[in-house]
Amino acid sequence: MSRLLDRIFRVVTGACAFGACALFLGIAGTILVKGLPAIDWQFLLLGPGEQFGSGGILYQTLGTLILVATALAVSAPLAIGLSLIQTTYLDSVRAKRRLRLAIYTANGVPSILFGIFGLILFGQLLGWGKSWLAGGLVLGAMILPTLTVALVERIEALPTKYLAAAAAAGLNRSQIVRSVILPQTRGGLLAGALLGLARAAGETAPIMFTAAVFSGATLPSGIRESPIVALPYHIFVLAQDSFNPAAHSQMWGAAAVLLGLVVLLSLLALPARLRSAEEAHHG
Amino acid sequence: MAELLRVHVDPEPIVLAARGLTVRAGRKLLLRNIDLSVRRGQVFGVIGPSGAGKSTLLKVFNRLVDLEAPPLRVEGEVELDGMPLYGSGVDPDELRRRVGTLFQQPVIFPKSIRANALFGVLHHEKMNRNHQEERLEESLRGAALWDEVKDRLDEPATTLSVGQQQRLCLARALAVRPEVLLMDEPTSSLDPRSTEAIEELILSLQDSHTIVLVTHDLGQARRVAGVVACICLRDGIGEVIETACCGDIFSNPRCAETREYLNRRAGQ
Amino acid sequence: MTRRLDPLRLASWGTSFLVGGFFALMLMLFVLQSLPVFFNEGVGYVTGKVWHFRAETFGVLPMIYGTLAVSAIALLLAGPIAIGAALFTSEVLSSRKRLWIKVPIELLAGVPSVVYGLLGIFLLRGWIYQLLEPFDPLSGDTLLTAGVLLAVMVLPTVMTLSDDALRSVPASQRRAARGLGLTVSQTAHRVSLPQAAPGIVAALLLALGRALGETIAVFLVVGRQDNQWPETFFSLRPLVEAGQTLTSKLGGSETFLAYGDPLHWAAMIGLALVLLILVATLTLIGGRFTTAKITSGKQP
Repeated sequence: MSRLLDRIFRVVTGACAFGACALFLGIAGTILVKGLPAIDWQFLLLGPGEQFGSGGILYQTLGTLILVATALAVSAPLAIGLSLIQTTYLDSVRAKRRLRLAIYTANGVPSILFGIFGLILFGQLLGWGKSWLAGGLVLGAMILPTLTVALVERIEALPTKYLAAAAAAGLNRSQIVRSVILPQTRGGLLAGALLGLARAAGETAPIMFTAAVFSGATLPSGIRESPIVALPYHIFVLAQDSFNPAAHSQMWGAAAVLLGLVVLLSLLALPARLRSAEEAHHG
Repeated sequence: MAELLRVHVDPEPIVLAARGLTVRAGRKLLLRNIDLSVRRGQVFGVIGPSGAGKSTLLKVFNRLVDLEAPPLRVEGEVELDGMPLYGSGVDPDELRRRVGTLFQQPVIFPKSIRANALFGVLHHEKMNRNHQEERLEESLRGAALWDEVKDRLDEPATTLSVGQQQRLCLARALAVRPEVLLMDEPTSSLDPRSTEAIEELILSLQDSHTIVLVTHDLGQARRVAGVVACICLRDGIGEVIETACCGDIFSNPRCAETREYLNRRAGQ
Repeated sequence: MTRRLDPLRLASWGTSFLVGGFFALMLMLFVLQSLPVFFNEGVGYVTGKVWHFRAETFGVLPMIYGTLAVSAIALLLAGPIAIGAALFTSEVLSSRKRLWIKVPIELLAGVPSVVYGLLGIFLLRGWIYQLLEPFDPLSGDTLLTAGVLLAVMVLPTVMTLSDDALRSVPASQRRAARGLGLTVSQTAHRVSLPQAAPGIVAALLLALGRALGETIAVFLVVGRQDNQWPETFFSLRPLVEAGQTLTSKLGGSETFLAYGDPLHWAAMIGLALVLLILVATLTLIGGRFTTAKITSGKQP
C-alpha cells in the first residue's frame, strides 16, 4: 500500500516538474519558430521602414540597452549601500527586521505603480515629458529591491569565520566591508545585476508612461521631451494591433530578440546563483 | 567469561552476513572484500581509524547507501537472516524497518516527545490509542527514558538534553521493533554520564536485539562488544583486518595494522 | 570619532535615506493626488460598482473583483503544480539531476510579460474560445484567459521558493525518517512538508502579490470591459466573460485621458493606491511567515 502511494507520489510530482519544464520549452520554441524567420542582419541593423511595422529594430534594441544600462548604473550603488546597512551597519535586531520587511515590501510593488509614479514625478512635477532618463530611473527603482535582496542573501551566506577572523585582526566595520565582504560577494553582485538587467529589459509597464514611444524616436539627445523606442513597448503596441498581418513578422522577430536577450542574461547569472544557493544549503 | 562461552559453545544463528563485500563511490573504492558475520544477540563492535569506512559499512546493512548522492555501488553478498539485501524484489523501506539505526548526532523532529517516539511505528502498524500508549511506554522504558519524561510526553522534544535526545532516538528505533540495531558512534556527541547510560542500554538490549556498534572509543568496545572487527585502510581502501572476540583483539592483535592502530589510540 | 567620519558608512546611510525617501514620496504622491476622489466619492469609491468617468461616477469594486478573480484562478492552477514540482526536485531527485528541472524553470521566470501577452493573444485566446464554444462566448478575452496566463507566469515563483523552503529542512531529518523505514512520500508528508509549510505559504502569498500587480499580459487578454460585477458568486459564468482589473485599467489609454481633469486623474491614481495597499498588505502577511520561519530555524 505505502509502496503504491510512493509510486503515485513520484509519478504525479514528476509530471508536475516535467510539465513546468515543457512549458518553458514550449514558450521558447513557439517564439523561436515564429520569430527566427524574421531575423536577419538587416532586421537587426536597420531602423524602421516607411510602413507600419516594417524595417528593422536597431533603435528599439539600442533603446532597451540604454534603459537597462541607466537602470543598473543608478541602482547598483544604492543596492550596495542598502545591503551594507542591512547586514553590517545596523546593530539593533528590531531595526534590521523592519528594514528587511521594508525591502521585501518594496520588492513586491507592482511595476505599473513605478510607471505611474514616474509619470507624476518626472512627467508632471519635473516637466520632463517622456524621457529616456525617467524610464531608466524608474526601471532602476524597480530592480533596486531585487538587487538588494540578492546582495543581502549573499552577504548573509558568508561564513561567519571570515568576519570573525577579520574582526579579531582589529579591523573596523568599513575595513571589514572593503577587505572581506565586498570581495567575497562580487559573484552575488554580478548575479543580482544580471537578473535585474533581465527583468528591466523585459518590462513594459514602467516605461509606457515615462519613456517609450512607438515611433519617431532614434537616439536620445537631451533629457526633457527626449523619448526613446524600446523592444517591449514596441511588441506591446504591435500585439494590440493584432489584425494587421503586415506587422506580424516584425513583432515575432522583436519578441525572439527580446527573449534571447533576457534568457542570455539569466543564463549568465545562473552559475553564480546556483553556487550561492548550494553554499547556503551546505553551509 | 559467560558471554565468551556462549559465543563459542552454543553458536547462535547468523543474522547479518557479508561475503566479498565491496563498496564504490563512482570509481573510487571505499570498502574492499569485506567478510563478516554477526550472530543473534551479539554486540558486534567495529573499530578502526576515521575515514576507513566504518560508517559506510553500517549504511550497507540498512541500504542507506542508496540515498547517498550519487548512490554508492555495492558488490558481493550481504544477507539478513539468509535473505540477500540487494536482490531484486527487496523493498529497502521494509528492510529499514527490520534494521534500526542510531546516528552520531541525535536527530529530533520538531514535534512532541510522544510524536517523536511513535514517529516511525505509526506508519508501519495500525494501532489504537491503548496500543499506542503501551508501545510508547515499552520503547521509552527500553531506552531508559521513561522515568524522566513520563510526565511531559507532550512537550517539544527539543527541550530535552542532548543525551536524552539520543535516548529518544533509540526509543524511536525500538518502537518499530527492529531485529538489528545499527549504531554509528552513538555516544560521540554525549557527555560521560549519558555515554554510560547508553552503554548500559546496549548491554541490556543485547538479550532481545542484535547490535552492530561502530565506535571510536576502544574502551567502549572493550566494555560492551562481544566480538570486534577492526577496519583499517590498505592502499587507501578500507578492509577488515581482523575479527576476534573482544578480549583477544586487544590483548593479542594478529595484524600489524591493528597493532599500530591500537598503539596509536593508546598513546593518545 | 573615526566612526562618524567613515566615508563608506556615511555613503551607505546616505543611499538608504535616498531610497527610503523615494518610496515615501511614491506613497505620499499617490495619497495626495487621489485625495479629490475620496472627498468626492467617499467610501463609495471602493464600494461603488459603477465607473463612468463622463458622469463623474467612480466605483472600483468591479476592478477589485476582476483583480482578485484572475489572481485566484492563477494561484489555484499554478499552486498545486508548482508545489508538486518542488516536491519532485527536493524530495525525489538527487542534487545533480535537480538542475535539469530548475534551470528551465528559472528561465521561465525570466520570460518578459509582454511575451506572455503575445502568446496569450495569438494562442491561449483561441484555445479558450474553442474550449468555451458550448457556452457561446463573446470572445476569447476573458477573466479565465488572464487567470490561466497568470498561472503560467507565477508558477516559477511558487516552485522556486517552495523548493528553497523544502530544501532548508535538514537532510539529517530526512535520513532519520528513511532510516526508520518511511518511504519517500511518507517522509515528504510527515517531515519535509510540515516544516516547509510557512515557507510555502509565503511563496504563495508572494506569487499572489505578483499576480495582483501584473499589468501587460493581463491587459492584452482580459477584455478590459468596465463594470462587470457578477450577479452571483455561485456561478462560474462571470469568469468566462471579459472583465477589467486594477492594472488593466491603469495601463490603458484612460490614464492619459484623465490627465487634464483633476477628479478623473484622482480616480486613476486612487486605483494605484488601492493596488499598492492590497499588495503591501499581502507582503506584510507573507513577511510574518518568513520571519516565523527564520526564527524557528534558529532553534537548536
